[in-house]
Amino acid sequence: MTINEKLIREVIEEVLKDFNMEGKTEAIPVTQTARQAVIPSSSKGLEIIESGSAAIGTRKDEVVIAVAAAFGVHQTKTIVGLPHTEVLREIIAGIEEEGISARLIRVYHTSDVGFVAHQAAKFSGSGIGIGIQSKGTTVIHQKDLPPLSNLELFPQAPLLDPETYRSIGKNAAKYAKGESPNPVPTKNDQMARPKYQAIAALLHIKETEHVDRSKKPTALQVKFN
Amino acid sequence: MNQQLIEQIVKEVMSSMGTVSEETSKTDSMTVKVDAQKDYPLGEKRPELIKTPTNKDLDQITLQGVIDGSVTSEDVRIAPETLELQAQVAESMRRKPLAQNFRRAAELIAVPDERILEIYNALRPYRSTKEELLAIAEELEGKFNAKMNAKLVREAADVYEKRDRLKKD
Amino acid sequence: MKSKRFQVLSERPVNQDGFVAEWPEVGLVAMSGPNDPKPSIRIERGIVVELDGKKREEFDFIDTFIADYAINLEKAEEAMSIDSNEFARMLVDINVPREKIIPLSTAMTPAKLCDVVKDMNVVELMMALQKMRARKTPSNQCHVTNLKDNPVQIAADAAEAALRGFDEQETTVGIVRYAPFNALGLLVGAQTGRGGILTQCSVEEATELEMGMRGLTCYAETVSVYGTEPVFVDGDDTPFSKAFLASAYASRGLKMRFTSGTGSEVQMGYAEGKSMLYLEARCIFVTKGAGSQGLQNGSISCIGVPGGVPSGIRAVLAENLFTTMMDMEVASGNDQTFSHSDIRRTARTLMQMLPGTDFIFSGYSATPNYDNMFAGSNFDAEDFDDYNVLQRDLKVDGGLRPVSEDEVVAIRNKAARAIQVVFEGLGLPAITDQEVEAATYAHGSNDMPDRNVVEDLRAADDMMKRGITGIDIVKALSKGGFDDVAQSVLNMLKQRVSGDYLHTSAIIDKDWKIVSAVNDLNDYQGPGTGYRMSDARWEEIKAIPRAIRPEDVN
Repeated sequence: MTINEKLIREVIEEVLKDFNMEGKTEAIPVTQTARQAVIPSSSKGLEIIESGSAAIGTRKDEVVIAVAAAFGVHQTKTIVGLPHTEVLREIIAGIEEEGISARLIRVYHTSDVGFVAHQAAKFSGSGIGIGIQSKGTTVIHQKDLPPLSNLELFPQAPLLDPETYRSIGKNAAKYAKGESPNPVPTKNDQMARPKYQAIAALLHIKETEHVDRSKKPTALQVKFN
Repeated sequence: MNQQLIEQIVKEVMSSMGTVSEETSKTDSMTVKVDAQKDYPLGEKRPELIKTPTNKDLDQITLQGVIDGSVTSEDVRIAPETLELQAQVAESMRRKPLAQNFRRAAELIAVPDERILEIYNALRPYRSTKEELLAIAEELEGKFNAKMNAKLVREAADVYEKRDRLKKD
Repeated sequence: MKSKRFQVLSERPVNQDGFVAEWPEVGLVAMSGPNDPKPSIRIERGIVVELDGKKREEFDFIDTFIADYAINLEKAEEAMSIDSNEFARMLVDINVPREKIIPLSTAMTPAKLCDVVKDMNVVELMMALQKMRARKTPSNQCHVTNLKDNPVQIAADAAEAALRGFDEQETTVGIVRYAPFNALGLLVGAQTGRGGILTQCSVEEATELEMGMRGLTCYAETVSVYGTEPVFVDGDDTPFSKAFLASAYASRGLKMRFTSGTGSEVQMGYAEGKSMLYLEARCIFVTKGAGSQGLQNGSISCIGVPGGVPSGIRAVLAENLFTTMMDMEVASGNDQTFSHSDIRRTARTLMQMLPGTDFIFSGYSATPNYDNMFAGSNFDAEDFDDYNVLQRDLKVDGGLRPVSEDEVVAIRNKAARAIQVVFEGLGLPAITDQEVEAATYAHGSNDMPDRNVVEDLRAADDMMKRGITGIDIVKALSKGGFDDVAQSVLNMLKQRVSGDYLHTSAIIDKDWKIVSAVNDLNDYQGPGTGYRMSDARWEEIKAIPRAIRPEDVN
């Protein structure tokens, strides 16, 4: 091929003319909607209060839990029907048992659990965070790791029971204290995929519908009634 | 006519075609030409053409050498000349993108492992500003003479800007 | 009253599977979605200005990359003007050889490929796949993992898997920080089983690259690409970062393939209303454009999604075919649990096993599925005999062979002892004789003693920090009295000097000969042509130990 810059330029100019591109600039869509301060939770016994932008923590003795966009509001239980109230209660209890405090945020700009967890870690004073999707998938993350790496990953949401969530909280707190805990025993059910994957896709699509790429994480307060 | 847009597209197209650098690397390379039918696998049929970057022959890479320390991990790497030969093999199989990949790879041999990992991470979405990516392109071109890779990084910088995939904050 | 028949049917395994109805607006449709674009290309003096109905200024980063890198523009107008149905007929016509198809199929667009296969049934797709597969000789790949990330068991299972015929082996981790040990166990075990096996460890991209550079692995596969821009970004990459990664691997002399599969975009929530097969076609083009020699596809970890919708398994077969039409190696899935039903999972695998692909499974579980850390494969260690009988019943080369208990026990023991001396030589936490014994006879990790996980993780981290490389492994093996295994590991390191195995569909046979789609190009043109198993290979497949020989009966 004998193509030089001049020729390419001519072609492009012609093409752009064809497309009637003159003077047009690319419009960047800006999504800006009014935000409610309090989102009444439909999860029974759980009240989630949204209180402005989340701050980056300075306390070394905290673990940040980040929940995905639909958690506790548009979806209220995991893929196997465990109420989100239970999930949070167990994780927070696990963290507090280790003498560490738990802080909650909601991540809007992504529904990918790895990124949600990494965001939690980046906001956490200890650098340790936990990310949870509405369907229950959970990751323990550390801020210096690549987003799609992790300290511990629990990809099979159908296998996560209250006891496992408590252990996840405990382990996250231990990492925050600089310990090297034994990882929470991995569960493996090779039949979870054929049974749940198509449904998981549906749930995830529904969560992703609430993602807002331009919205920063918000601080959450949670009340168990 | 939107001059800026034209400039951008011209640059993108020029860089994506990789014509300039491909020709440069061809003329730079040795006069030896290989052909898939006659010469492949090179290690078996043309071992005399293969040298390690430390200038050893293939048959000098021996177990005894490893044990006595004369063979190190530096000796089990590929040389740019070898990748050029493999690019020719790919071309004679009419696999152009594969050949182009081998030629980009030949340029990266000189880049240290850690730097390769850093540049890869910098190319991931939201990791770099446009200036940071352009600086990497400069470094690839200036320090390592990696022209094709520099073009790829510059093209990425433009596309990321257009698609809003540059570092935020 | 309840029907007793319906009661019985409701308890059948297939009714444990999840099925969903199509929802085309969000992309929950296998192929031929109502929102899929019509094929088109417009080239103006060498530049693609329109691709599948989109104009250049509307391109996202995937379109841009495909337009500028992936399509053979010289033939594009000719190829795009061929009637899709006529091209489908060429694909199944034994009189049209692969070499006539490739120049045209590599000049088409993603939507055009979808249009070509839309009227093909699965038998026609299989006929096309048999012809279009790049390497003439089919092969197979396995997974070697376990629930405890026990490196001794990995070594023993890898050695057995090598003996059983797998040419490639892949591991992954339960706990990410175990990755260096798993890679090490797999390398040593596989080379003990048979010199020349390619091994890899599937983890996050940058970590995987680092282990490859160190010589702990022989190739890489977890280089994932996606069919929509938001999902690509959630996968933490772009076509440009992946193209750079492809070159990074080749610059270290390492074989590499990309990974994609139908269903990932809808699974990750951003299918943009397009069918799974159309989005997968885009992945295949990105892979081609980045200069990868091959691709692992066939839905892979998202198989439950196409598996849950109508015609999904047909779409999975079509995506494998697309990869071969783009003149790339295909490692064709079958690597994840897909169904509770033995009938369904066998039918799904026959789509690739009968025509043969470069790797029929991109992960047959060489362990029992409870140990499979890819969350289970479609076939596992407990199916070995079934698979061998399928090969024998149908006279099909599925890449495996029957083996005897004695040879398996012997090779497992040798591999466990080899990894024992490597751990000793590299100053890693000791492997006890009790662990060697357990690994020799184990079926799975339930039969293995526990290791000190915290100590192992610390040592694995330290091993990476100390800069341990393949050369150190060779030394440790030799010092420990395993010169033959040391030589094999060294030979694998030497592959990256000559680079011959960087080419399309390359594997290394037992005599250290490279077999690839350069020197073993598929030349199928109907009965009696293409791959035909040798007499020796047929004798091997026939000889299942349980077959009663006439001379043994009175």
